Amino acid sequence: MERNQMHKHIFLMRQSFFDQGLLDEQFIQLEELQDDANPNFVEEVVTLYYRDSSRIILNIEQSLERNPLDFNKLDNYMHQFKGSSTSIGAKKVKAECTQFREYCRAGNGEGCMRTFQQLKKEYAILKRKLENYFQQSRQAGPSETACRPRMN
Amino acid sequence: MIPSNGKGSMSMASSSAAWKAGDVVPDQFPAGLRVLLVDDDPTCLVILEKMLRACLYEVTKCNGAEIALSLLRENKNGFDIVISDVHMPDMDGFKLLEYIELEMDLPVILMSADGEKNVVMKGVTHGACDYLIKPVRMEALKNIWQHVVRKRRNEWRELEQSAIIRSCRAKY
Repeated sequence: MERNQMHKHIFLMRQSFFDQGLLDEQFIQLEELQDDANPNFVEEVVTLYYRDSSRIILNIEQSLERNPLDFNKLDNYMHQFKGSSTSIGAKKVKAECTQFREYCRAGNGEGCMRTFQQLKKEYAILKRKLENYFQQSRQAGPSETACRPRMN
Repeated sequence: MIPSNGKGSMSMASSSAAWKAGDVVPDQFPAGLRVLLVDDDPTCLVILEKMLRACLYEVTKCNGAEIALSLLRENKNGFDIVISDVHMPDMDGFKLLEYIELEMDLPVILMSADGEKNVVMKGVTHGACDYLIKPVRMEALKNIWQHVVRKRRNEWRELEQSAIIRSCRAKY
């Protein structure tokens, strides 16, 4: 694929993340931190996020298997996970976290489990899409334009 | 007098070097502001460190309150300001704030993804000089140096006032 076409493709891919509500403003903040000293900063942060948060996901999974459910503990884990997800701009994942916490407060185990399944789905989708995006960005190399494409 | 060193860091080393109105602030200020960053979330820690470095601050990061306290104790005058998350497993931000106020009297900024008023209120009543809601924006970090200046100015005011009281007492 010709260089310019690749860049256009990547640009549209990135735009779709915002249009579909997968990512929010915070992701742009990360992009703005990327510089010559840290040219892969965003990818590094996202990789770190997925590596670290998998631990919390496991903790939540194990906690959801307990009977009775410890809603306090679950809420605590989710607070951590939400904070992490917020920091990379994972909008949909963050929304599921908020929903989960509401169910915790209401003591609704069913709701928690349902929401958690949805959360894992969104989490995995985002991971796949971002991995694809970073890989293609690296293949395409640096783009001609000096400034980053803005959200809108 | 602000001592200079090769690193170009802002060294407000001695507590008697409180600023007076009209003092000349070194040109590079607030660059080199020495920040201690405390957050147990590795992702947040990396992002915040990068943001603070982008503000030209000198950042030391750690992932827990206990480590933060030992760093502060080992290096009594090594930091200008502390930024800490509230929810941490070993010790929460409020407790850390209490220790710092007691032992080092540095300005402390608390942060949390939790923006609920009662939690923010708790932070402020505990003595946090600011409470930032995550995700923290660059704009918020660019202004944190004001807390350092404000605290120094208040210290100077207190020193001045106690000097006045002493001199009044000396007269009578």
